[in-house]
This record gives sequence, C-alpha cells and structure tokens, in this order.
Amino acid sequence: MTDMITFPDVVNWAVPLFIAAILAELLWIVIKGHGGRYETRDALTSLIMGAGNVASGILLGFVAYGFFMLLWEITPVDLGTSIAVIGLCFVLDDLRYYWVHRFGHRIRWVWASHVNHHSSQHYNLTTALRQTWTGTFTFMMVVRAPLILLGFHPAMVLFVGGLNLIYQFWIHTEAIGKMPRWFEAVMNTPSHHRVHHGRNPRYLDCNYAGVFIVWDKIFGTFVPEMQEEKVDYGLVHNLGTFNPIRVAFHEWVGIFRDATQPGLTWRARLNYCIMPPGWSHDGSRETSSAIKARHVFRNPDLADTPGLPPLPDHKP
Amino acid sequence: MPLSILLPMVVMGIAAIAVLLHLLGLSRQATLTNAEAARAAWLREFPTDAPIHVTLCANRSAALIASETGRGVVWPMGADTTARYLTGARARRTKTGLRLDLPDYTAPRIHLTLDPDETAAWQDALKETA
Repeated sequence: MTDMITFPDVVNWAVPLFIAAILAELLWIVIKGHGGRYETRDALTSLIMGAGNVASGILLGFVAYGFFMLLWEITPVDLGTSIAVIGLCFVLDDLRYYWVHRFGHRIRWVWASHVNHHSSQHYNLTTALRQTWTGTFTFMMVVRAPLILLGFHPAMVLFVGGLNLIYQFWIHTEAIGKMPRWFEAVMNTPSHHRVHHGRNPRYLDCNYAGVFIVWDKIFGTFVPEMQEEKVDYGLVHNLGTFNPIRVAFHEWVGIFRDATQPGLTWRARLNYCIMPPGWSHDGSRETSSAIKARHVFRNPDLADTPGLPPLPDHKP
Repeated sequence: MPLSILLPMVVMGIAAIAVLLHLLGLSRQATLTNAEAARAAWLREFPTDAPIHVTLCANRSAALIASETGRGVVWPMGADTTARYLTGARARRTKTGLRLDLPDYTAPRIHLTLDPDETAAWQDALKETA
C-alpha cells in the first residue's frame, strides 16, 4: 500500500481557536468572578509546554509516521477514506486513546511523559495545552499499530487523533458545570475530566476517556464528580518550579535516579520503570491504590463509595 | 499551516496572554493568612505527617514546619502553595532573606523573603536539619 493520502493538520489549524477560547474564558472569569482561576506563571508554563509539544511533533513526528508507513506497506487491507470509515476510525482511535491514557497513569515509563499534563494546580483552558515533549520515547505508538493493520491509512489515523485532541481542549474548564444528562452519559465533559485531574484520593486514576466517557463505564474506571468533594487539582506531590524544562523531564530524572540506585536487583530497577507511579522497592512510597486504602482507613464512612475501595482488614 | 504563520502566531499569542494576565493582577503570589493556613498547606502535601510546630514568617509568604519526620518549608507556587522537607538543604543569605538549595529536581531553589532577625533564626533552624 503506497498510495499518498493527505489530511489537514487540524491541530495546527486549531491554534487560533485555542488562543481565542483562552481569552474568552479568561474574560468570562474576570467579569463573572467565578468559573475558574488563572495565574500568570502557571498559564505561561502551560502555553510553553503546548508550543514545545508542537515543536517536538515537528522534530520527532517522523519516528511514529515512519513506523506507521512501514505497517501500511505490509498490511493487505485498505478500508479507503469514506466518511463511514473515517467515523469508525475516530471511534476506534478513541478506544486506543483510552488505553494509552490508562497506561499513562499506571506505567511509570509512560507517566513520565504524561505527568506534565497534570502538573498544574489550576484547571483552565491553558491546562489543556500543557502537553508532553517526550511522547515518542514512551513507544505508545505501537498501540496504534492494530488500526493501521486493519486498513486505516496512517494519515487518517493521525487526522482523527488530532480531532480527538481538539475535542479534549474545551473540557479543561471550570466555567462549564454540567452538560445535558444524555451528553454527560455518553461524552467526556468538563465535569468528568475535572475528576480526572483531581489529586484527591477518590479521584486518582479514573476517567481516562478522550471523547467518549463510555469506555470508562465499560472498563470500570468511571468516577462521577461528587458535589460534596471539590476537586483539588495537581499532583500528589506538587512541583516547586515553573521551569518548563523541569516540568517536561522531572519524572524521567526521577526514574533514572531510582533505577540507578546502588544495591538494587535488576528486577527492582525494571520495576522502577514499569510499575505504577509511587512504587518503590522498599515500600517507602505510596501508589494511588495505597493512597486510596489509607484514605479509607482514616475515613471509614467513605469506604466503597465512588473511586474508593472497601474498608481494608488491617492498617495499610 | 506554514511555519512562517504558525510560529509568529504562537509566540505572539503566548506573549499577549501572559501580558494580559499580569495586567489583570493575576501574578500575585499566595499568602498564608495564619499558622493554620500554613499547617493546612503542609498537610495538603504530606497528609500523614502533622506539623508539631509552625513558624510563619512576618510577611506570611512562607512557613517553617517542624514535624515528627523532620523540618520542612511551605512556600507559594504562584497563587497556590507547595511544601518540601529540608533534608539536605543548603541555606544562603541573600539581600532579601534566604535562598534554599534543595537536592530535588522538582524544587531546586526556594527564595524566601525574611526580615534580618527571621533570617538568622531560620538559618539556625536549618543548620539543625542539614
């Protein structure tokens, strides 16, 4: 399969829309006095991370695209470029996004790339643009391989991936409360995604959806936004710097330091790369599961409520 | 989109938003209203290590924390706060207070604005930690 098919680079074309929407959200917050918070250095860091993400795509995009074109050469299937095929590709790519995103929270190697998106203590439209510079190094492009082998052209797969990213932009806001019930049931919304950005024990590691929240409901990772528990945004251990270089690379540095400690077994070194964030060889740190268990132990009335486990038998 | 359009648009867009935010007064740093606020900010980062003693600095921009685990500091991160233990920290006097260098890639340097008496007291306290 060597035919040349081109699709518009929708993310770059959406840049003016991103800027206009940020200005509109900011003015809304300033005029209304509610609906979110902005802070200069936080927003600046997010915007620089977004620009760096575009730059890294220009510099390193050939790696993933080369891999996809190689797969396209060997697959005997070509589903064409009809509207129905593009629609199907969009849905399947969103399923792909769900799993890549879930891996991004549960495998430290992938989290090292994704963590910067969660590193703001704010939640506004600039947070949506706080994107990774190091996605290529996670090798998560392999999760797209089945789509190419099934006969979806690589350009189409990247096109629908871009649409997915653009969809997710508008859900990074506190200015919108809840959407209509039918929409909240099917689609990812500001409410569902606020929960995903929470550092509250209840809200850790849930709502991985990109466009369709139904994936979380199918795979058991959905947690609703609870009126009685306001979302606290950021990381379990918040950063003490706005330096974009440190924001982009801090978890990679952390992995390197952990995995190269003297006296560890090779299994422990590997586990520092592939186990969930918070794993440690001596149990001195907490994973999200341990944080949730501890939270329930200290607040037994919260046991078995959304996002939290049953009461443990013994002190975690 | 051609790079010749994308690049200037991104640079000017980022600059315009940053200037606008600053002009709207959204560059103000968080202040810790009292010792209880400092304690809450510490517990937000270290929920299992309650402060035994909180020393809030005079301008309420930071607090020195003593807990069972050791000493730590709470300081503003823009409009929010964060906290770190001071294990391995080095303190240097500056014209406005203290500069703390931490062996932590995510919080390498903390600038504290302290009055001269506070600076001496905090430096003494930090010597015990290092």
